Amino acid sequence: MSVRSSRLWPGVLLTAGTVALTACGSSGTSASSASTAAASGSAAAPGSASGSTQPGQVIVKVTEADGCVATPDTVPAGQVTFVVTNVDAVGVTEVELVADQRIVGERENLAPGFDSTFSARLDGGTFEIYCPGASTERTTFTVTGQAAAQDEDLTALLTQATKDYAAYVDDQISFLLVPVQQMADAIHAGDLPAAQAAYIKARPFYERIEPVAESFPLLDPAIDLRIGDVEQGTPWTGFHPIEQGLFEKQSTEGLGELADQLIVDIKSLQTQAQQLSAATTTGTDGGYQAFEIANGAATLLDEVLASKITGEEEAYSRIDLLDFEANVEGSLQAFATLKPALNQIDPTIVPQISTAFDTLTAELNKFKDPNSPSGWVAYDQLTDADKKALVDALLVAQEPLSAVAQKITQ
Amino acid sequence: MTDQGTSRRRFLTGAAAAGVGAAAGFAAGYGVRGATDADVVPESVVAAMTAQADNVVPFYGPRQAGVTTAQQERLMFAAFDVSTRDVEELKRMLGRWAAMAARMTEGKAVSDSPTKPAQPPFDTGEGMDLGAHSLTITVGFGPSLFDDRFGLADRMPPELTAFGTIPGDTVMRPELSDGDLCIQACADDPQVVFHAVRNLARAARGTGTATLRWSQLGFGRASSTGSGQVTPRNLMGFKDGTRNVRSDDTAKLDAQVWVGANGAAMAAEHEWMRDGSYLVARKIRMEIESWDTDPLNDQERIFARFKATGAPLTGGDEFTDPDYAALDGQGAPVIDVDAHIRLASPEQNNGLTILRRGYNYTDGQDPATGKLAAGLFFIAFQRDPQTQFKVLQTRLGKTDLLNEYIAHIGGGLWACPPGVSGPGDWFGKALFT
Repeated sequence: MSVRSSRLWPGVLLTAGTVALTACGSSGTSASSASTAAASGSAAAPGSASGSTQPGQVIVKVTEADGCVATPDTVPAGQVTFVVTNVDAVGVTEVELVADQRIVGERENLAPGFDSTFSARLDGGTFEIYCPGASTERTTFTVTGQAAAQDEDLTALLTQATKDYAAYVDDQISFLLVPVQQMADAIHAGDLPAAQAAYIKARPFYERIEPVAESFPLLDPAIDLRIGDVEQGTPWTGFHPIEQGLFEKQSTEGLGELADQLIVDIKSLQTQAQQLSAATTTGTDGGYQAFEIANGAATLLDEVLASKITGEEEAYSRIDLLDFEANVEGSLQAFATLKPALNQIDPTIVPQISTAFDTLTAELNKFKDPNSPSGWVAYDQLTDADKKALVDALLVAQEPLSAVAQKITQ
Repeated sequence: MTDQGTSRRRFLTGAAAAGVGAAAGFAAGYGVRGATDADVVPESVVAAMTAQADNVVPFYGPRQAGVTTAQQERLMFAAFDVSTRDVEELKRMLGRWAAMAARMTEGKAVSDSPTKPAQPPFDTGEGMDLGAHSLTITVGFGPSLFDDRFGLADRMPPELTAFGTIPGDTVMRPELSDGDLCIQACADDPQVVFHAVRNLARAARGTGTATLRWSQLGFGRASSTGSGQVTPRNLMGFKDGTRNVRSDDTAKLDAQVWVGANGAAMAAEHEWMRDGSYLVARKIRMEIESWDTDPLNDQERIFARFKATGAPLTGGDEFTDPDYAALDGQGAPVIDVDAHIRLASPEQNNGLTILRRGYNYTDGQDPATGKLAAGLFFIAFQRDPQTQFKVLQTRLGKTDLLNEYIAHIGGGLWACPPGVSGPGDWFGKALFT
């Protein structure tokens, strides 16, 4: 079941809530992945995607007529490179490879005439290629061979989870840099509507991986501090003073330096996250730990309860629900990387949490508003009863999720 | 009584009111009403209108359509400022524009993907059921695109150098001039051209890539480029463009309009413009009220053509070549030395000419003065604007008798790259690679 509506243009119509809840039929699918982005925006030669493919390479051709078509649509397990070519599908801007709720790999910002590549290590199972906005949005993709997860020991599964999560975080930060740069450009050009749109476009990428950013004690305050948390004598930097300028003062004036500094800080976040990923991949000290990912999943929901539900996060732009949804998606993705391991530890907890996420997402989706710039109802329009319904749905997911870290370290 | 005649009559009424839209849509569904024979529209007229609505000009090809295409009846022209600093974002938008243009020029919506209820439609919708109406979408790059923003400075051809101030340009208004990009949309239906520009502007705005800088609707063709087309009249009532370059005059088009035709040598860094052409636009306001008080013989002296027939004052019919050497009884030139057609003629300009593709426009009334705000939205294509339009306009701007009644108030210069070869290709791809 999908709750994601496609967006027409990245940025203008942020109706894309982003929880891709695709229930694939395969049991115990364990997609191990290292989703690495490459060659974004490289120009595709006309008809370049029609030729034969090399072993381990899958051409995903996106056309107005047929939607997303993968050639071949069945591959043996192993390292697979996906070359996504948007031939002429104006409505499609992103493609995802999804395995049992988890985004194994994705490319954003696709346009007709361009191609983009990502690769992933895939174990046997059934996947879905999801192209929001295409004439046919979902196609099945099959990987033959061992569904390795079932046979491997728990330690290996947990290690794989950390690698998967590392890839997810790196992707989100690379996607984040694009709108942040656009926002800085717009601010320097004095283009208020463009700067506001870019702000809205950027926020979800950060909110999805906020626990990772928080693990760097200097960076998160520099990037995401709200005014009430600024210590005396410290400058207020990051997203929120920019938000105040763009949405309360309705001006780009004086924001140029803040926007430039934000780019520097996010690039620094990217470097540090990449170091974490590298350590995770090589198995050296200092990489992601599985229990941290579990804690992160729970933290994201705490974050919602603490600052989104109160309406503190986006006090000027009122796009709190967009952040809310991004926190939930980030939490779900963190949880989804742990699923294969959790299935061994406690088979009952996985369906329980998955269902809770489905319920929460459905509750949240009631507040979608395509006419709003963020794609969501402005937060000050919510009644107390609305907020209570959201909190109730949150708690149902948070309770079992908060127990996961402890189960992993047992 | 059959309702055949009634529905056709209603069709014609509708067509008159709405431009020649929706031929098929009017063909049925109206109740029986009294119809006289005079009301009956012949089958042949209905068929012709349907054919006009359904006509498609191929979008893909080695050269862009909308240059030598037989000139359509309506125009919407739009200039854009690029707002992004990210060249990749700009390239992707040109990719989106090409894919959208390919569909819209076939009379299709921007996308056929199903729209979800909680999502704005992919296409704005006002083009539905109208047909392609020979829509062409021609894209150009302005000199400002080649500044330091996108790393294109060394790819700018000298032909694209901004003109500076040419005589007669002193009242040019910046807010109606220039732009990093331009779109010329032409079709035989006004709503079709509006729909095209609106959706392309939406895609540009929505991706934060470019915003509309200024735009212009042209309500009627003011020149003819097809060899069988009748010469239309401008808002001064004169036949304009009688001696225009025709779409079947390949030799002249290669010599005067297309860049790098017949394998002509080009600098490697400007090779991306081969098979392109340079577009000059000028919004030329006419002092309508003053013109309307000018006596016929003075009007004819200014143009050096007879108003009724379009023939030059030296005799013959519309298509007779003017005799610039002819003298009258007093020994004065029959065609005034500063007459419009003399100053602009190839004979008086070392054989140089341009392909004109202008449209009559009106913006209604000037709210400040109450005068009609109307004139000619001049468009010309050429191989080298520095030695073609600029030379001609420098002469005209200095001494053209017409200058008393016109003012150039806006416009610009753009390099229109070669055509989009097929799905996956896009406007100006060779410039960016």
